[in-house]
Amino acid sequence: MTWTIVVGVKQVPDAAEVGIDPDTGRLDRANAPAVMNPPDRDALEAALSIKDEVDARIVAMTMGPPMATPVLEEAIAMGCDDAVLITDRAFAGSDTWPTSLTLAKAAEKLGADIVLAGEETTDSSTGQVPPGIAAHNGWAQLTYVEAIEPRPEENRLVATRDVEGGYERVAADLPVVVAVAYGEFEPRPAGLHRKIYAENDFEPIEWTAEDLGIEDEVGLDVSPTSVGGMETVQPVERKGEVVEEIGDLADPITEVLS
Amino acid sequence: MSEQNDAGIDVEEYEDVWVFVEEHAGEVMPVSWELLAEGKKLTEKTGENLVALVIGEDLENVAEEALERGADRVLVADDPVFEPYRADPYGAQFRAMVEERKPSIVLIGGTHTGRDFAGRVAVPTHAGLTADVTEIDVDDDGLLQARRPAFGGDILATILCEEHRPQMATIRPGVFEPGESDPDADDGRTADDEAIIPVDVVVDEADTISEVLEREVGDTADITEAERIVAVGAGVEGDLGPAIELAEALDAELAASRAAVDEGWVDGSRQVGQTGKTVRPELYVALGISGAIQHIEGMNKSGTVIAVNTDPNAPIFEHADYGIVGDFADVCPELAATLADRDLTEVVQ
Ligand SMILES: Cc1cc2nc3c(=O)[nH]c(=O)nc-3n(C[C@H](O)[C@H](O)[C@H](O)COP(=O)(O)OP(=O)(O)OC[C@H]3O[C@@H](n4cnc5c(N)ncnc54)[C@H](O)[C@@H]3O)c2cc1C
Repeated sequence: MTWTIVVGVKQVPDAAEVGIDPDTGRLDRANAPAVMNPPDRDALEAALSIKDEVDARIVAMTMGPPMATPVLEEAIAMGCDDAVLITDRAFAGSDTWPTSLTLAKAAEKLGADIVLAGEETTDSSTGQVPPGIAAHNGWAQLTYVEAIEPRPEENRLVATRDVEGGYERVAADLPVVVAVAYGEFEPRPAGLHRKIYAENDFEPIEWTAEDLGIEDEVGLDVSPTSVGGMETVQPVERKGEVVEEIGDLADPITEVLS
Repeated sequence: MSEQNDAGIDVEEYEDVWVFVEEHAGEVMPVSWELLAEGKKLTEKTGENLVALVIGEDLENVAEEALERGADRVLVADDPVFEPYRADPYGAQFRAMVEERKPSIVLIGGTHTGRDFAGRVAVPTHAGLTADVTEIDVDDDGLLQARRPAFGGDILATILCEEHRPQMATIRPGVFEPGESDPDADDGRTADDEAIIPVDVVVDEADTISEVLEREVGDTADITEAERIVAVGAGVEGDLGPAIELAEALDAELAASRAAVDEGWVDGSRQVGQTGKTVRPELYVALGISGAIQHIEGMNKSGTVIAVNTDPNAPIFEHADYGIVGDFADVCPELAATLADRDLTEVVQ
């Protein structure tokens, strides 16, 4: 049997390129280039490592504007077999509830045995989408996963999860949603031929909310949460003094401790 | 008469503030008591009950402690199916309790466990779930104001859930003070006003879709209470000796960036940052930490921040009060010796 592995990837502003506005001292995101959410690269690597051991087909999926296509091309370049762009104005304003519904429906339509994702995104950092996908479909879930052992003969996946103060090994029935811990799967570089193919010849499948049969269940209106306000947080004032001598460091420490 | 809103929900039907008390084999996660104390403040405003939820096996002591720490009632789901923790049985049980008893607000610790199963309750009940909250309040209508940092902590967004219930939030460990335990807190209740309520267990082992094969957990450190912290990053390259020497000189707890935790040098319970703990010591010394926004978020409530880094352009210097450009392996012993010369031990006591 061939496993179908679906990997969720998202386009986010590059956190490393977010500069500090010299006038306000605040982060300036507007000019940051869009990149793949770094934890999702680990998820792609995890998918490819399963495929190294088990007969599998890997499909990357993203929910976003057509502008997000480069993250799918990157996934193809890394070694995914196919990719789906889920795009529709109807999705605008979706919180984690409709977002995870959308991805759950797409995973179901793709016949996923395993859905992989990064532990959270760097732009919204809820970590709630992978468990949400599992909950919508009534599937098993494994989060904070550091290592994966595929068990095709048992139709299960065994994973090592980070639990605070230790670890555990859990076996889950398929289909299963796996959120990998960031930093645990070193992403492999894309091959040159795959890169050329991804950028020149590859076209992702495109699905709308209607294609997934959820046009009335997505967007701002069905999102249980809404943003009630935004306050800018005053950056914590720090002295920012760089000293030359150890003694100059010991002085303020002595002062704090006395 | 039910007054349904556009989402088909009568919000008046929902009342009480629930706090999930997370325990593993009888050990309660400290964030649970932080939430119980914070939940109490909400019920003092709304005039509702504060209800603790305990799921696991052999829970009498945990349930008693929840009462001593201020819960008006404790709902207990006690069954071997819940030990050790798994997302599917916890989610199914919690969901059944929510559907039957209709709480208005549900607070869950933003631990790996809390963030793992919260969605399995919020999705099927179509509840609003706000993740990784750092401030909560409630307005006159009982509407929860859940605030969470956005854009790397630059902005605090208030998230509301107006039309759906319950209003759920996972809350970051370490941001609230735990309350004191009062052994007499549950006095004065009569037998027919039983405060510990066993609930029906709706989960059957035969229906579970996951199995824990092995579980290894050591002691978890609670760095959120530390007055002084020496934190190490990727820059120490596994050489913890100098950091420990300095920590001892300062009578400080050891903590770490995520990079150092991922390398396995320091246990995950000592991780500071967005996906770790929020700390607020009077002194925070960062050794070989670059100062990524995800790290800064967890330590920017510290009093005095000292940074040691070989790279003069490391962002940590902008988030520190005093910094020195240098190798931590040289700086730590010299600093420890200088402090010892000043007889700091006396000052510390
Ligand atoms: C979803 C997500 C969540 C995250 N959550 C967290 C979190 O909770 N906490 C967290 O910390 N990070 C978190 N991160 C990771 C964060 O982005 C950074 O990667 C991490 O904080 C870097 O750790 P570091 O500063 O120790 O390592 P590096 O960035 O590698 O920095 C090492 C530093 O050490 C210095 N150095 C090297 N040698 C020496 C020496 N001999 N002496 C002194 N200095 C030296 C270097 O100049 C450098 O500045 C998260 C990332 C993501 C994507």
